[in-house]
Amino acid sequence: MWGDGMLKAYIASVEMLKIDRHYDKSYVDMALEVIDAVLNGVGLTPSELDYIIVSTAFNSLLTHQVGSSYILAQYLGVKNVNVASVEAGEASGAAALDYAASLVKSGKASKVLVVGFEKMSEYPSWIVNREYSKILNYMVEGIKGVTPPDYAAIIMKEYMSKYNVTREDVFKWSVKMHENASKNPYAQLPFKISKDSYVKSLVMSDPITMHDSFPVGDGAAAALIVGDGFTNNAPKELVELVDVESSVNLPLYLREDLTVFEATAKSLSKLTSKHRVSVTKDMALNVYDTYNIYGLITLESLGVAERGKAHEVIDEMPYLNVGGGLKARGHPVGATPLYQLGELYKLMTEGFAGMKYDGEYGIIHSMSGPDNTSWLVLLRRCVR
Amino acid sequence: MKHSISIFWRDRENHYKLLITKCRNCGKSSYPKLKRCPYCGSTNVEVVESKGRGTLVNYTITYFRVDGSEAMLPKVIGLVKLDEGVKVPAEIVDVPDLSSLKPGLEVEAVLRKYSSDDPHGLIYYGLKFIPSIIKKQ
Amino acid sequence: MSRCCVKTGVVGWGAYIPLYRLRSKEIASLWGFDPNVADSIWIEEKSVASVDEDAITMGWYAAKYALVRGGVNPEDVGAVFVGTESKPYAVKPSSTVIADALGISRKKLATDLEFACRAAAEGIRLAVALVSSGSIKYGLSIGSDTAQASPGDVLELTASSGAVAFLIGPAEESVAVFEGLTTYVTDTPDFWRREGSKYPSHGEGFTGEPAYFHHIISSVTMLLEELGLKPSDFDYAIFHQPNGKFPLQVGRALGFPKEKITPGLVTPWIGNTYNASALLGLAKVLEIAKPGQRILVAPFGSGAGSDAMSLVVTDKVLDRVHKAPTVEELINRKKYVSYAEYAKSRNLILRNVG
Ligand SMILES: [Zn+2]
Repeated sequence: MWGDGMLKAYIASVEMLKIDRHYDKSYVDMALEVIDAVLNGVGLTPSELDYIIVSTAFNSLLTHQVGSSYILAQYLGVKNVNVASVEAGEASGAAALDYAASLVKSGKASKVLVVGFEKMSEYPSWIVNREYSKILNYMVEGIKGVTPPDYAAIIMKEYMSKYNVTREDVFKWSVKMHENASKNPYAQLPFKISKDSYVKSLVMSDPITMHDSFPVGDGAAAALIVGDGFTNNAPKELVELVDVESSVNLPLYLREDLTVFEATAKSLSKLTSKHRVSVTKDMALNVYDTYNIYGLITLESLGVAERGKAHEVIDEMPYLNVGGGLKARGHPVGATPLYQLGELYKLMTEGFAGMKYDGEYGIIHSMSGPDNTSWLVLLRRCVR
Repeated sequence: MKHSISIFWRDRENHYKLLITKCRNCGKSSYPKLKRCPYCGSTNVEVVESKGRGTLVNYTITYFRVDGSEAMLPKVIGLVKLDEGVKVPAEIVDVPDLSSLKPGLEVEAVLRKYSSDDPHGLIYYGLKFIPSIIKKQ
Repeated sequence: MSRCCVKTGVVGWGAYIPLYRLRSKEIASLWGFDPNVADSIWIEEKSVASVDEDAITMGWYAAKYALVRGGVNPEDVGAVFVGTESKPYAVKPSSTVIADALGISRKKLATDLEFACRAAAEGIRLAVALVSSGSIKYGLSIGSDTAQASPGDVLELTASSGAVAFLIGPAEESVAVFEGLTTYVTDTPDFWRREGSKYPSHGEGFTGEPAYFHHIISSVTMLLEELGLKPSDFDYAIFHQPNGKFPLQVGRALGFPKEKITPGLVTPWIGNTYNASALLGLAKVLEIAKPGQRILVAPFGSGAGSDAMSLVVTDKVLDRVHKAPTVEELINRKKYVSYAEYAKSRNLILRNVG
C-alpha cells in the first residue's frame, strides 16, 4: 500500500511563525505556537493526534535538548501519541514529510502532526557557524575548517567561469527572492534589494556575500497530514501529499562536475518515473537556495533551464519560491521545508503573497549542503 | 573541548597523510582512506599515500568565522587536485600574494595546526597546502 | 677519526624557514632602541612563523625533506629526537607527532630534548652514537623553534622561527662523514625561562664572554686537539648565531677567517632560530660544499654548553642538494609583515580564547 496504494495523504493545515531572531521565545514556545494554530484551525485536540513528528537539525547542538519530540508532547499534555524526530541535515523537514505521508498512506496513522523548528539565535554567530558547518562531514571538512559558504563560493566561481555567467547574473536570484519575500508576512527579510547590492554587502567566502546567502533566524512551522477519512470536512480545494523522493550525492570533492546537482536530478527521475510529472516554468516550485548559486543550479538540475542559463529563466517563473526562498524568507533549518510546504499549500488553495496557483502539481525541493542529499516533495491539487 | 580526543586520534592517519583509496572494481580513486569505494560501493580497495603535491582547482578567500578560527582569518579554502588525480578540500596557507592564486597553481602539502583547544586542551595538527616551494620540472 | 663517531655521517638534511619576515629596524623603532642597534649586532630581518605553525609543524617539514634527500624509507628510522625550547606542549612529546605524521617506524626511540639552543646538536650526537653502535640504522635529529622573546626585550630583534633536520646513518650512504665530536658543558646561568613563564630572561652582557665565547672556544679547541687539526684545515666554520656579529668574533678568536664563516651565516637574514641556528648554517654549507671539503660546526646552548663537530663532505652531496628546498631558496622566499601582524601570529596580543 506504499506509494501507489489505495490510501492517500493530504495536507489539512500548515501554520508558520514569522522568521526572526526570537530572543523572547524558546524552541518550545515557537513549536507550541504553530502547533496550537494548526490544531485550533482544524478543531482537533492534541490527544486526537496519532503521531507528532519533529524536524530539527540543530536543536541538540544549539539548545542542548535531545528528544524534543517527547518534550513537546509533555508540554502539550498528551500521553497516547507516537513521537519521534527525523533528521537529515538541512533536509530534515522533507524527510519528516516523507515519514508522515508514509504513515498515513500505509494506514498506520490518519492524523500526523509534523512540526519543524530551529532556534538559531541562542549563540553568537561564530558558534552557530561552527555548528551549522557540521552539515558537511565533520571528519573531513569539519576538522579542516572547510565551511558551507566556502563550498558555495567555489561552486559559484566554477559555474561563472564554466558558463561565462556574470556576478550580476547570479545575483538576479537574490533580487527576485527579496522581491517575493516583500509580500510574505512570514519572511525574515521582507524587503527588496537592488541589483548590485552585493557590492557593499559583507563578504562571507568570496564571492559569496551576505546578500548571496540565507540569513540566520529562528522559526517554526507545523503541518497536519491526514488520511481520507479526515477530509470530509475539509475545504473544497485539497492538496494531496503525493510522494517524497530523495537521493544522495558524493561529497563535493569527489564530484567530477561541481556545477550540477546530481542527487536533485536523480530524485526527479525517481519521482517522474512513478508519477509522470515534469518540472515546468509555470509550475509552483519551491527550491532550496541556501546560496543564490544553489537556486540556479537546482533549476538546471531539475531540467527547467539549460546548464548555465537558469538566470535567464527565473523571470519566466511566476510561481518560483513565492515566499522568497531561503535567501529572503529565511532558513530556520529544520522548519524550512515546512515553510516551503505552507507557502505552496496556501498558494494552491487560499492564495499566498497575492497570488493563486491553479496548476495541478507543485514541487518542493530541499537539500543539505551542496546537494549532499536532495529531496523532492510532490503535491497535487484535487478539487472535491 | 572543541574536538573529541578519540575522534581525532583514531583518524590521525587521515589528518597527517593524504591517503587515497583505489578501487580495484571500478578503477576510480577517492579520498580519504576508505573501506568502501564511494563510486561503486566495492570493498575491493587498496589505500596508497599521495606524494602530497597537486594543483589548485579553485578557491575562496573566506572571512566566515567559526569558533577558534579568528586568528587565522581570512583563510584561503580550496579544492586541490593531487598529482594522483584525486581532489581534496583543504586550506591553502602562506600565499605571498593573493593575486597569484588561480586555478592550476602548484601546491604542496604541509603539516599545520588545524585548531587548538586553548588554553589547556589539545592542539590538532593536519595537512594544509602551500604554493610549492620547488616547482615541477 | 675519534671513536665516538665510527663510520657515521649525514645521510640527508632538510630545512624550513617560515615565509614571513619582520624587519629589525621596525622592532627597534617601535620600542625606542637606538636606530643603530640592529646594525651593531648585524640583524636585518627575522623570520616569523605563521599563526598555524609551531615547532612541530616546522620540524615536520625539515624532517620530511631530510628523509627525501636521504632517500630513506621512514620505516627504517630508529630514533627521532626533537631539540626545541618552544615545545608546543610542556608535557607531551613533539617527536611522536612528527614521527607518526612522517610514517616513521613505531619501533623507535623518540624524545624531545631541551638544552636551550643546542639540544638538537646533542640529538645529533645521540643519533651518531646509536648508529655507530649498531643499535639503529638511521636516526633523525630535528632542531625546531618558534623562539620567544618578551616584547621590547633586545632579544626580540633576533628571536625567530625555523627548523632543520639531520638524518644520521652509515658513512657509506652519507653526504658528509663525521670525523670527531666533542661537547663542553658547565652550569652557567646566561639565559633561562622558568616553568610557566611565557618569555625567557637573560644576563645581557653575561651571555657573551662567560657563556657563548667560553663554551664554543672550549669545545672547538678540544676538537682540534683531539683530531690534530688546525683552523686552516677547515674549508668552512659554522658557529651558533645568536646574531650576525658573535660568530665572526668567536671565529676570529679561534683563528678562522671571515670568508670561512660567512657562507654558513643565516641569522642576519632570518634571525636566531635557536635550535636550528648553527645547524641551518651547516645545511646551507652542505648545499654549496664540494666533495672532500672539511666543515666545522659548533652549536651553543645557554646554560651552557657547546658541541664541536668535524665533517668531511663526500661526493654523494651533489645530487641530493636539489631534491628539496635549499636554505638559500627558503631565505629568499619571503613576505614582509608588520609588527602588528607578527604580534597577532605569535600570539603576543592579549585576547579572550577558549
Ligand atoms: Zn569503485
